Amino acid sequence: MSFRGLFIAVMLSTAMIVSAFMIQAQRPRHEVARQTADLVKATGKCADCHRKETSAVIHEYEMSLHSQKGVNCLDCHQPSKGQEPYEHKGFTIAKKLTSANCATCHQRQYDEYLKSRHAAPAWAAVTGPEDFTPEQIAFSEAIHKGAVNRDPHALVEVQGMASVNKGCRQCHEIGKPNDDGSIGSCTACHARHVSSVELARTPETCGQCHMGPDHSQIEIYHESKHGVLFNIQRHIMNLAARPEKLTTRDMPVPTCATCHMSGLEGEKFTHDVTERLSYFLFESVSDRRPGYKEGKKNMQAICLKCHTTPNILRFYGEAEAVVKSTNKLVNEAKEVMEGLRKDQLLTPEPFDEPIEYVYFDLWHYGGRTAKHGAYMGGADFVQWHGYYEIVSKLAEVKHAAEDLRSKGKTGEQARAKEPKAEEAKRAEVPKAEEPAPADAPAEQPEKSGGDADAAPSDG
Amino acid sequence: MPRRATVKPWMTRPLFWTEVFAIGNVGFLAVDVAMAHAINAFEHKAEYVPVYFSLIAAALLVVAMLVGGPLPRTRATVREAASPGRARLARWIGLLVGWGSILVGVVGLILHLKDAFFVEQTLKNLVYTAPFVAPLAYAGLGFLIILNRMVDARSLEWALWVVVLAAGGWMGNFILSLADHAQNGFFYPSEWVGVIAAAIAFGFLVGLMVAPRNRPLQLLTMAVLAAQFVVGLVGFYLHVHANVSKAATSFWQSFIFGAPAFAPLLFADLAILGLLGVWGLMANAPKAEA
Repeated sequence: MSFRGLFIAVMLSTAMIVSAFMIQAQRPRHEVARQTADLVKATGKCADCHRKETSAVIHEYEMSLHSQKGVNCLDCHQPSKGQEPYEHKGFTIAKKLTSANCATCHQRQYDEYLKSRHAAPAWAAVTGPEDFTPEQIAFSEAIHKGAVNRDPHALVEVQGMASVNKGCRQCHEIGKPNDDGSIGSCTACHARHVSSVELARTPETCGQCHMGPDHSQIEIYHESKHGVLFNIQRHIMNLAARPEKLTTRDMPVPTCATCHMSGLEGEKFTHDVTERLSYFLFESVSDRRPGYKEGKKNMQAICLKCHTTPNILRFYGEAEAVVKSTNKLVNEAKEVMEGLRKDQLLTPEPFDEPIEYVYFDLWHYGGRTAKHGAYMGGADFVQWHGYYEIVSKLAEVKHAAEDLRSKGKTGEQARAKEPKAEEAKRAEVPKAEEPAPADAPAEQPEKSGGDADAAPSDG
Repeated sequence: MPRRATVKPWMTRPLFWTEVFAIGNVGFLAVDVAMAHAINAFEHKAEYVPVYFSLIAAALLVVAMLVGGPLPRTRATVREAASPGRARLARWIGLLVGWGSILVGVVGLILHLKDAFFVEQTLKNLVYTAPFVAPLAYAGLGFLIILNRMVDARSLEWALWVVVLAAGGWMGNFILSLADHAQNGFFYPSEWVGVIAAAIAFGFLVGLMVAPRNRPLQLLTMAVLAAQFVVGLVGFYLHVHANVSKAATSFWQSFIFGAPAFAPLLFADLAILGLLGVWGLMANAPKAEA
């Protein structure tokens, strides 16, 4: 036997084997110490193809905390309970991701979200209860009475499905039930792939839906001192701080999430956005919420991080005065409308007469804006976009009511109009194959179907 | 110096079987590459090139064999043929295929690396991108085809070059096995067997290059290579078993995207090439040293 040949054979083989072990040992533990071989493979195989196709998805993921912590594509995309598996290039993945996938790791956050009006009540405002299971309805109704077991907003029928699909549903999908039994999608606020806390804390994220004349929170925020300061200081703020460790050093100025959700300096953070609210501001006439005291206390605990108690109490006192004052004005308009209806000077159908739109604008735009403005520090929205709109519309309502009465429109005349209205409605009714939609989220369980008091969303 | 031509029948010579090995491998690469490129659905048109090349090259080599006889000839041995014209034509066909195969291999290597490695140059890229070593199979086979037509197969030099090419194949197999199994992080410890086996085969073939005439080492190397044959067959079974037993996966999907079924057969394949090389060393050694 040639010693030279044997020596080289053994040494070379050993060196190669040891090198292989050493290279493998260099791999991060979070990549290789996984429950299945597919989960290891997903650390690189998915990106290899998706860099060529939908490459932005990879870059978004690479920016995420998930990526830093070793959560890979398959961790989120593997089928959760009740989800249909789908074979995709050697991996078994879920056809559609839902909040159930996120809940695999973030169960507490999902449970909190389920209790909020972002969950079932948001979708029910557009569609009514038909898409939900009896259990889901019962769960939500126990917390938000009348918010799910309700009719779709009356404007749904008037405006039609095109508006509902491309308008209402785009925001109200945040509470849409999924085939796997879960509700909603966390990506509405956190976005896909980047799964960002920073994004969820950014006012513009909330402002995607909480904007416009019906709930102008984003506009009010940017007018407020909070918004002005945030816009000038956002570059020095740490919006990506861990929720359980967030301090006023990270965010010395609040965004929507800070006041409504964040656990600033040890306060409990929550995904139930109703936990810190005290009034049903979105309603035409705003009552206190059942958890009025608790909600107020929760919110004021956050206010205290920046403001002194006397200031907070004064602020709340003034805001509550606005609520009472707008309630009074809206009630005045409401009485006029109810009088007309009682005297059969209006048809039973909603949104078929100009005065109904004027009244709707009065509380739905002007009323809400004034109240939101008062609680969010938006002076111009309290006054010009709020009160001024209420009182001017109130004058219009009264004038139109007098007009109707002076024309002597009788009950018989009103009823004579009904067949025409029915005909017009039938022309607008969605086709049978389209799921019953709804336009804006109505929020008034106790209201009768025929008036324009239905409220679209949470306040 | 090459020994004089003997009257040994062509079927008993390593050269014939080496040429059969080359033809079989080039032809089979059409299937192997077609399956590999089906993973990304032949996204680039260039991915069809090796498939077509393999089919044409294998056919041409068979034609060359029919035209010039079962044994490829060098420039010198062409003159010894019964029909030198036909033998020359067969030789040129073979050389053409050989050079074409090297070109396909080198270009393939660059294209495979181009996908990601040249951008980030990380080990992870090498693991998860297209297997960069795989196209070099064409280059190796191209060299083997050319070797059969440039170096007298009755010489020790020819046998040594076969051993060198086999060792090169084993180095490629070592890298492929390492990179492929690294994709799932050597989830099953048995996945290390291929890496270890390939390293041992490479080491012994290199050892044989240093002491090519040493009979005990030749025999030991043959034993090592025979063991590789078994490793290949067991690996083939394990890969196929992993694919068919995967739940909720269609047969086609599991074979395209699952464990590469044919990859372990490369162990058996390269074992054959190595054994041909050792056979050549034994057959071509000067009598005094044999």
